Parts: sequence; C-alpha cells; structure tokens
Amino acid sequence: MPIENPFQDPLRFERRVPECTVVIFGANGDLTKRKLLPALYRLAYDRRLSAGFAVVGISRTPMSDEAFREKMLESVKQFSEDTDFDENVWAGFAAGLYYVAGDIGDAALYQNLATRLEQIENERHTGGNVLFYLSTQPSQYARAAQGLGAAGVSKGKGWRRLVVEKPFGHDLASARELSDRLHESFDESEVYRIDHYLGKETVQNILAFRFGNGIFEPLWNRRYVNHVQITGAESIGVEGRGAYYQEAGALDDMIQNHLLQVMATIAMEPSATFRAPSVRDERSKLLRSIRPMTPEEVRQNTVPGQYGPASIGGKDVPGFRQEPGVDPKSQTNTYAGVTLFVDNWRWAGVPFYIRTGKRLAKRVTEISIQFNEAPLHIFDHDGAESAPNLLIVRIQPEEGISLKFLSKRPGSGMMLRPVSMDFNYGSSFGERSPSAYETLLLDAIIGDATLYTRQDMVEASWSVVEPIQNYWRGNPADFPNYPAGTWGPAAADAMLARRGHVWREP
Amino acid sequence: MGTTIAPEKILKELSDLWVDSGKQAQTEGGTGVLRACSMTLLVLAEAAEDAQDLGETIAALMPEHPARAILVRLSGAGDRSMAERVYSQCWMPFGQRRQICCEQVEITVSDAALADLQSVVLPLTVADLPLIVWCRSQRLLAMPEFRAIAQMADKVVIHSASSLDPAALLERAHGAVGRGIMLGDLSWTILTRWREMLAQVFENHQNAAQVAKLAEIDVEWGGSRYVPALYLGAWIRDSLAAAGVNAKLQMSRVADDDDLGVKLTGDGIAVKLAREDDRMVVTLNGASQCTNLPQPTDYMLMREELRIVRHDPVFERTLASAVQLAHPIEQ
Repeated sequence: MPIENPFQDPLRFERRVPECTVVIFGANGDLTKRKLLPALYRLAYDRRLSAGFAVVGISRTPMSDEAFREKMLESVKQFSEDTDFDENVWAGFAAGLYYVAGDIGDAALYQNLATRLEQIENERHTGGNVLFYLSTQPSQYARAAQGLGAAGVSKGKGWRRLVVEKPFGHDLASARELSDRLHESFDESEVYRIDHYLGKETVQNILAFRFGNGIFEPLWNRRYVNHVQITGAESIGVEGRGAYYQEAGALDDMIQNHLLQVMATIAMEPSATFRAPSVRDERSKLLRSIRPMTPEEVRQNTVPGQYGPASIGGKDVPGFRQEPGVDPKSQTNTYAGVTLFVDNWRWAGVPFYIRTGKRLAKRVTEISIQFNEAPLHIFDHDGAESAPNLLIVRIQPEEGISLKFLSKRPGSGMMLRPVSMDFNYGSSFGERSPSAYETLLLDAIIGDATLYTRQDMVEASWSVVEPIQNYWRGNPADFPNYPAGTWGPAAADAMLARRGHVWREP
Repeated sequence: MGTTIAPEKILKELSDLWVDSGKQAQTEGGTGVLRACSMTLLVLAEAAEDAQDLGETIAALMPEHPARAILVRLSGAGDRSMAERVYSQCWMPFGQRRQICCEQVEITVSDAALADLQSVVLPLTVADLPLIVWCRSQRLLAMPEFRAIAQMADKVVIHSASSLDPAALLERAHGAVGRGIMLGDLSWTILTRWREMLAQVFENHQNAAQVAKLAEIDVEWGGSRYVPALYLGAWIRDSLAAAGVNAKLQMSRVADDDDLGVKLTGDGIAVKLAREDDRMVVTLNGASQCTNLPQPTDYMLMREELRIVRHDPVFERTLASAVQLAHPIEQ
C-alpha cells in the first residue's frame, strides 16, 4: 500500500508526479525531437517531474549517453516553443537521459534495456516505474511489445505502461490484431493509445463547457440542435510526406481518430464522474451509436476529394499527384467529407457533418453547432434577416467559443443583424497553455487515461470508417476534384445542400 | 482635488472608454476590442508608493486574471479629499488580431475621506464576479476603516511580513479568518515552491517510508523572513503531527539578510532546503540537487493568490499554529 505523503497540498501544488523512467523507442525520430523531448524538458522546467525521473532513448544508431544528450539538447533548443532555455534545468534533466542502441527485432536489445533499467532504478530511485513510448513505424509496435514481454520488462516492481501513437491499425481487423498482440505483454489498462487532439486544451474545455455549466446541456439535443459541423482543415499540402500520406489519406489520418474523438466529446452523454473509466465509457458509447453506412448511404453521405494544382496568392502549388513520391494516378483522398448520424435518443435525425482536408482555404479546426431558428420570424417578413444561432468551438487557431445571435441594429425601425459573443481562451487566460504532448505525457506518468483512446473506442471508430473505405476503394473517383486553396469539392457542398444546409466558411 | 466622487460618473466614463476603444480599433483596421473580466481587483496602496512599479505589477496580472482594477491611493492626513480617473489596460495577444482590454480606475483618497470609500467602491464592483482586496498599506490594515472594506471582499490579500508588528498582524488575520473572511497572505505564498519541493522529496517511496523517523525540524531565518519562517515551521510540524509523527521544532535567527532555510532530521534521514541566489538546493542525505527558484515578486505571488478564490484549509490551519508560535519567539 503506498505511503501517504504528509506534505501534499493539492490546492496549491501541481499534480503529483511519481518517479519513473520513460523509454522512447524511435529516439532518433522526428516526433521525439520535435515533440516528446521538448515536452519533457518543459515539464522539468516547470518542476513537474520528480527527482527520480529518467529517459532512455532507443534506436538503431550506435550512440553514447553523452552523444544522445547533445542531440537532445539541440532538439530542445530548436523546438521548445514559449520556453526559455535554462542551463541549470537542462543540466539536471540531462543527467537523467540515457541511450540504448539496438534493433527492435533483436532480443539482445531488450536484455540490454532490462540491465539499463535496473541500473537506472538503483541510481535514480525510479521506483521501478516505466513508461514505454512507441514512437516508431506502426509496423514495429507489436514487435516492440512482444520483445518487452519476452524479456520480462513489461512487468516489474513498479507500474509499466505502454504509449502507442496512431495509426491503431488500418482497418477493424488490423486494429483488433494489433490490440491482441499488445495484450500478449500488456493489459489493456496499461496500454495508452495517444490521440494528441484530445490533449489540446480546448478539446478538454469542451467537457468543462458542457458539464461544468447548467445552461447549455438542456439545449444539447435533437429538439434544439439543427446540425453539427466539424471541420479539421489544413492549408498546407503533404509537405514531403507524400509517400506516407498516399497510404493513409484524410479519412484514415484524421476522421477515424482525431475528428471522431472530437465528435464523441461534443456529443457524448454526461459522465457520472470525471474519472477515466467513466469518461471513456461515455465516449465509447457514443462512437458505438454512430450508424454504420450501407454502400448506398456511403454514396450519398460521403465525399472523397483530392486537390489539384492551383495558384495561391500568386504562387503556383502542385496538385497531390504532382507531389514528390506520389503515384500520378493516385486515388488517395486528401479531402474527406462525411455525414454521420447518431442512433440514440439525444441525437436521432441530427446530421453531423465532418470534413477534413489538405490544401483547403485556411488552417482551422472547429466545431459549429447550428441551432434551430426561432419558430416564427416576427421581425422579418421576407426572411432576409434570418440567421441561425451558432455556437462555435474553435480548437485551433485562436482557441475559444463564440455564440452568434441576432441583435437589433441601432437606429429607428426593427432591423436585426447577427452579432458574435466571443470567449477567447488565450486572452481570457493569459497564461501559457501546455502543449498536447505535455498534458498527455504527464497524464500517462500519473496514470490518468481519461484522454487516451481505449481498444473498444478504436474498434468502434473503424466500424464507422471501414464501410466508407471499402466503398471508396471499390468506386474510384474522378480526381483531382478541388483546386488547392479552396474549401473542397463541389460535391461536398451538394451533400449538405440536399438537407438544406451549407458549410460554414470559418 | 475634489471632496466627492460619483460612482455613476465613473461607470459612464468606463462605458465611454469601451466605445472609444472599439471605434479606435476599427479605424486602425482591427476587429474591435475584447472586454475581459473575471473579477474586481481593489488595490489599496499608499500614495507614496512607486506608481509606475505598482502599475506594471497590476498590468502584468491582467492577461491571466483580467479584472476591473480599482487602485486606491491613500494620500494620508490632511483635508477630506477624493479624486478619480479611469483608463484602460490593453494588450494584443501573440498571433491574434484583436486587442484585449481591461478597465482601470484610480481613486486618490485622504484619510479623512476613507469612511466614504466603501460607498464609492461598492457600485464600481463588477456584478456576479469576486471582489479581491489587495491591501499593500500596513497603515490601513491597522485602521478601523479597513474592516468595512474587508467585509465587502470575497478575499483579502495581505503581506504580513511587511508589517512592523507581524505577530500582532497575524493575530488580527487569524481573527478575520475566524469571522469567515477568506484571507491570503503573500508571506505564505512565498513558501509554495519551498513546500512543493519538500513534498516532492517524500513522493519517492523510499523517502516516504522514512517520514516516521523524522524527529527534528530546524528553521533558520533572517531579515524579513520571520513570518515565512513561522509559517514554514508550523506547517511542517502540523503536517508531520497529522501523520502521527511528533517532531521537535527549533527556530533560530541567523543573519540580517532575507534568509530562510529548513532542515528535517531523523535516524538515517536528513533533508535540507536552502536558497542560493535564484536556485533552491535540496540536499537529501548529503546528495544535493538544484532547481530554479526565482526571487519572489509581487506579481508572482499575487498571480498565485488570485487563482485561489476559496478558503485554503492548509493555510488557515497553519495561520492558527503560527499565531501560537509567534509569541514565544523573540524576533
């Protein structure tokens, strides 16, 4: 039984962080350099890590601990946003950085790791707690987990947890297979599937907004909500990742994970408590309530897209098929628009429109909830002044919440105009928001899985996406079907128009 | 300087200020200003205080704790007089297109007019949001008029270490807490990082197992750190007592500079916390570790206090113990 710390003061102190070692597979990769190490350094800078904290980097390149520290120092200096570099903090942090070279498929790597972990535990009193972070090619996930299991490292004196980056499979069957392989070495409760969208402050704020206030929840249902639009738009193209992106596409890369998780957060039932199992149960229930589509429904309610070349601001940009490493006849969707329905009492009949794409008009992620119009337009006999009430949750950039409603124009006569009431997250709380990786790493170290995706949620998401995948694969589209720099294919507008709706242009 | 202030006039001026700011931002090609407010912050300071310094502290607090700030400058003895001016504090958040603005009201008041202050401030507070009173004037704390001001507040923040008679002030603060006033003391806030670092030592399960062996607490202090030392000693002793460990508390004055240090010892365990310039050195059984510990500023301390608009049970318990400790110890 853990001994209670008599000096804790939860009102004033930050959350308690136990001592542990974070083992990063893929320590030479981009994610480690750009996100993971800068996030861990920031946590150290904020004094959030315990004294007995260590990091072990693993990759194939032979390197000494000292060389690894030097390399990570460069990454932290280059990629730490909003964080001053402090020599003293770095010195303390770097003393806990270690490196083990080896191939993920080689059993010797795990024996070396076991020896190193034991040595670190003795030196730094990590309590035997280990967080394994798989920042490798997805094809290596199962092999790494099996290697840890076979060497006996997946179990130990303290807790052991495994963080896995997306994609969690490429369809339902492969997602199940991956989970089965991970479960050979780790219990489901020890597997933390990371979806960095859920670590964003504003996505978490959706829960605070919905369940911390009494005024919104009564409106949050089919009686008052006309439809919901979720947009995850990027203005950039594939930026040299054409070969990778060709295998994934917008539907798998964004909707299957990030945007369905956002939808689950916006539409889930209230959780009885803010504990991980309870919140995750509700998210999972919502995802399982999304109606899977028949091929005919897929044809009517989904739109794949691929951008073609265009001139944006006087600069010529290539189409997807002209990007390096991309097949000139590629059928990869760089845009996906879908209409989903949730089969439960709260949302029956309310369309959830989700769109995501590369090379769209601007970079924006937002949720727009459109409410039903007033039942009678008493001020406006020709309908010219009607505008629906909109509640907009902006996830990025300029995170915040806006409510649009009608107000009387100043002057004589009863002329209305829409106005916006804005809550701006960054300005109302001027303090720096932690990055998604800081939040999620800290959660994993503390053992809070609320913002992580569970196996049943992954499977429910694939159950929604797989019929769309299958139909799109069997029915090649006439690509490209939208010029770079626009809001996507005309067919996506037509999809909404059939129900009398239009996409919001954020 | 006049002798009266009409709150309605100030409110009208504030309203005009918003209209002007909005028009100005639009003519400059912006998209208007955002008004942000999460509280009313009433700052009571002596007129002799460096206005620019204090203004900068209040301005720095605004992005995180947007407030209608009412700065009351106490001009001291003399004829009955009151004067006011209103202005806004604006900033452009990084990467955003819209200015954020907060309102500020400055009222100058002589001691003779202090009795009227409550009636001026009350209509100026923002409805439905907390009123936080930050009393920087030690003189005012001892005046009877302060009680009426404190009664309006949701929270009162003081800095007992600045008092000429800290023991007496602690006793009055304890009395105020007893009357249900929510209180913050920056002399306690100074200790948060110290306390957090000490707690972190015992997050380690091996060290946590040694807690029962702790037998002695030695707190050393110098200069203006008398009250923080009292708080620190009382908090450690009480925390251990709550865990069933009765350790002996020893407090001693060591030097004249603002020094503070603490040592916990027992059979096989010794933990020492000491400041070295901008760092804290935590020494556990001879092995030292450094961490950042910038010199506390009013901004840093108030930033923390403004986050806590609720009773702080640990502080209130420690205040009661510190009052008891204060009397036997000679400064």
